[in-house]
Amino acid sequence: MPETSLITDYLTALSAQLPAPMVEELADGLDQTRQHYLRQGLTPDGAAGAAVAEFGAPQVIVAAFTRLSPARHAARRLLAAGPVVGGCWAAALITGRAWTWPVPAAARLLFGVTLITVIGLLTAAAFGRRYISARRAGAAACIGITTLDGVMLITVMLAIPVLIWPVILAVAASAARLTFTARALRAVLTG
Amino acid sequence: MRGEELKGHLDALLLAALEDGPRHGYAVIEALRESTGGRLDLPTGTIYPALRRLEQAGLTAGSWSVVAGRQRREYRLTSAGSRALSGKRADWQDFAAMISAALEGRPCPRPA
Repeated sequence: MPETSLITDYLTALSAQLPAPMVEELADGLDQTRQHYLRQGLTPDGAAGAAVAEFGAPQVIVAAFTRLSPARHAARRLLAAGPVVGGCWAAALITGRAWTWPVPAAARLLFGVTLITVIGLLTAAAFGRRYISARRAGAAACIGITTLDGVMLITVMLAIPVLIWPVILAVAASAARLTFTARALRAVLTG
Repeated sequence: MRGEELKGHLDALLLAALEDGPRHGYAVIEALRESTGGRLDLPTGTIYPALRRLEQAGLTAGSWSVVAGRQRREYRLTSAGSRALSGKRADWQDFAAMISAALEGRPCPRPA
């Protein structure tokens, strides 16, 4: 395989799974490694092959970068916090007799489907091995959580005239999660 | 020396490679190669995520420059990184002294 093709294929494999700045940095290092082997007297093809071999398999590098991904960290924290916030809301909804609220069945169904989708996206972001996929899933999950928390807060404000302590606790939990999610989303999009 | 044997020590090696001044990824690899007499057998591509990890931890700071039309990222040790390196050096010296003493059947020196 010609040396340019070997290097290009290697970088293409990385570009498909990593953000451009990381690929730029790796491309620079790969080029310097290739130059090192050229100075040692290898042919251009041999130098390219040696550089690629020394760098290691693209999936190993991608996995190492993905472990650092802000999306992965945010998703794991949100997954861990989910049962706590969910528990607060369960207590609030039972105490507030949520089944008597005038919320259409379609809206309840839509909320449930969104919740399941968000959990799926968080799982993909938390355990995915591809940086870009994890980032997309993490960003979508953050937007989904923001929407769900926003809907819950608005619904509760409209449905319950007097705030009782389980509701206050759930509102505080959602507000804290909204703050964390907003910061996490910024980190996910820029990271 | 293979990558698995380096687990737990790579951070200290990278920080030590940056002690003399800022370096980009390839220069860090070269410095490691030189300081270990070429005995380090590590996929060099994994050095780059490790440098980013140290940057996320605040132990190094990265900055971009353009060299020969190519983007190059350079890392320098932060003051937290210098402190971490001193700590890791002391830990390693204690650990090495303890293992050496055990292997050679002599009393273990007290940590400094």
